[in-house]
Amino acid sequence: MAGNFWQSSHYQQWVLDKQDLVRERQYDLGILSDEEYQKIFIFFSNLIQTLGEQLKLRQQVIATATVYFKRFYARNSLKCIDPLLLAPTCVFLASKVEEFGVISNSRLISICQTVVKNKFSYAYSQEFPYRSTHILECEFYLLENLDCCLIVYQPYRPLLQLLADIGHEDQLLALAWRVVNDSLRTDVCLLYPPYQIAIGCLQIACVVLQKDLKAWFAELNVDIEKIQEIVRYVCSLFELWKTYDEKKDIQALLNKMPKPKTQPSR
Amino acid sequence: MEYKLEERWRRYEKIEFLGEGQFATVYKARDVETDNIVAVKKIKVGSQDEARDGINRTALREIKLLQELHHPNIIGLLDVFGCMSNVSLVFDFMDTDLEVIIKDTSIVLTPANVKAYTLMTLQGLEYLHNNWILHRDLKPNNLLINSDGVLKIGDFGLAKFYGSPNRIYTHQVVTRWYRSPELLFGARMYSTGVDMWAVGCIIAELLLRVPFLPGESDLDQLTRIFHTLGTPTEQTWPGMTSLSDFIQFKSFPGTPLKHIFTAAGDDLLDVISSLLMINPAQRADCPTLLQMPYFANKPAPSLGAQLPLPASLSQAKATKVGTKRKTNDPSSVVQPKRLLFDTSM
Repeated sequence: MAGNFWQSSHYQQWVLDKQDLVRERQYDLGILSDEEYQKIFIFFSNLIQTLGEQLKLRQQVIATATVYFKRFYARNSLKCIDPLLLAPTCVFLASKVEEFGVISNSRLISICQTVVKNKFSYAYSQEFPYRSTHILECEFYLLENLDCCLIVYQPYRPLLQLLADIGHEDQLLALAWRVVNDSLRTDVCLLYPPYQIAIGCLQIACVVLQKDLKAWFAELNVDIEKIQEIVRYVCSLFELWKTYDEKKDIQALLNKMPKPKTQPSR
Repeated sequence: MEYKLEERWRRYEKIEFLGEGQFATVYKARDVETDNIVAVKKIKVGSQDEARDGINRTALREIKLLQELHHPNIIGLLDVFGCMSNVSLVFDFMDTDLEVIIKDTSIVLTPANVKAYTLMTLQGLEYLHNNWILHRDLKPNNLLINSDGVLKIGDFGLAKFYGSPNRIYTHQVVTRWYRSPELLFGARMYSTGVDMWAVGCIIAELLLRVPFLPGESDLDQLTRIFHTLGTPTEQTWPGMTSLSDFIQFKSFPGTPLKHIFTAAGDDLLDVISSLLMINPAQRADCPTLLQMPYFANKPAPSLGAQLPLPASLSQAKATKVGTKRKTNDPSSVVQPKRLLFDTSM
C-alpha cells in the first residue's frame, strides 16, 4: 500500500499497547484462558484465510481482513458480535477497500455455507446461519469500530525490500513470507509496525534455514528489543501448534466462548 | 448488537438542503456537540443490487483516502455515520466553489487572486501526489472555498492510488472538459499528468472566465485541444499512435498562448504552457511548477481575507459580524449554490 506510514492512521491510531489489549480483553479473559483465547483467534484466522482462498483473493486482502477482525476484537468482547459473522464481514469490507474485484454478497454467503460445511464441520455441526442482511448490518458496525481507518500496512512489502537488500534468496523469501502469514495468528499486527514484523519474521526464517546474516542484521537501524519481542510472539505460536489439535479441541472452545445474547433467527 | 449508530445522526442538525448530485445529497448542518457548521453528504442508495453491495464503494474510497490525508488544502472528513447501505459523510463546510466564483461576473479576479487559487490548488495536489494518490476529477466545481478564502480540493470519489507500473486503470475519468489528451486517446496507464492537465485548464478558465476547452463529445474535445495547442505527431509524443483509441487528426498549427491569454504575464504563460503539454511525459509536476518564477514574482498571492466571495455570501458575512451568536438565523442564510458531488457534466 502506498502513502506515508508514519502519518497513516495505522501508525497514529492502531499500533496499540500491550496494556490496552489486556484491559480490553478483561471480560473475555475472565471466561477463557489466554491460551484458549488465542486458539479461538487462530481458528477464525484460518476461517478468514480459507474464505479468502475460496474467493481467490490476494494474500494482501486476506491479511487486511484478518487485521480488521483483530482490531474489532481488540476493542470489543467476543460476545459483542459472533465471530462467525464478523469474519466474512471483514473479508467483504477488505475486498472492497483493496479494490480487487467484486465479491457479491450472495456469493460470499454461499461460499461461507460450503466452507463451513466442507472444511469446518469439525467445529460447526450446523449450517452457516447468517444471511446478506446480517453481513450488511455488521459491515457498518465494523467500519465504525475501526474508526473508519481502512488502510492497513502489511509486512509483505517491507519484507520484499529487505530481501532485495540481502540479495535475492528465493528460499529465504518464501519461508519468511510464510512466517509473516503465520504472524497473523498472533497479536503482533496490533502491537508493532509492519516493518518490524517483517524483520522479526525474516530473522526466524534465517534461524530455520541456518543462514548467518548476523552482520546484516547488525547494520539495521531498528529497536532490536522490539524485534525480539515479535520473535517471541511467533515462536510461542509455533510452540502451541506442536501440541494443539484444533479438530479435537475447537468445538469445546467455541461452546465456552462468550456469545451475543440473541442468535440470528432463520 | 447494540447500536450507537442510531443516535449518531442526531448530532447533526439539518439547516438546509445544499444540492444533489448523481450519487449523493448534500445538506448544511450544525454539529450540536461543537456548534460547528458542517456539510453532510448522504450517499444515495440506488438499485436493489447496490443496496445488497453494502457500504457504497465510492463513499468507501473517500473514507479510506480522506482518513489518511490531512492538509489545509484538502477537504477534511470529520465523521461518518449511517447504517446498512445508508452512509453519510460529514465534511468541513465550504461556502462556495471555484465554479461559482468564476461564473459570478460581479467578481473581479485580480492577478493576485488567480495566483492564490493556483497556489492553493497546487499545494493540495502536491500533497496528494506525494501520497501516491491521483485525484482524477479536478474541475472548478471540486475546488471548494470557504468564507476565509481557503481553497480545499474535494470529492475523492474517483481518487486512486497510483504507482504500480502494471496496474491498468480506466480512462473514463475526469469530466471531459478537463480530460487530458492521453485519457481521450484511451490510455490505461497514466499518472499525475492527468491531474496536471486539469489544473492547466482550470487556470485558463480563471483567466478567461469561461471553460477553456468545452468539448461537446470526446472527439470534439480532442479537436479543440489540437486546434488550440497544435496537433501532436509521433515525434513530439512518442507512443501516441499506439494508444488504443488513437485516431489521426488534421494537422493544426495551434495558437500561441499569449494570443489567447492576452492579460497574462510571461511568467504565468510559462506555467500554463508547462501544464498544457500535449505529451504527458513533458508535462510539469507539482514540485517543478511550484519552483517556477511565477510564484516568486510580484504580485504576491492574495491572502485569504482579500479573496472575493459571491455577493450573497460576502453580505451575509458582513451582517454576521454584529450578530455573532446567531450565525444560523435562517433569514441570513444564503444560497451558496450546490456543493455538487456528481461526476456527470
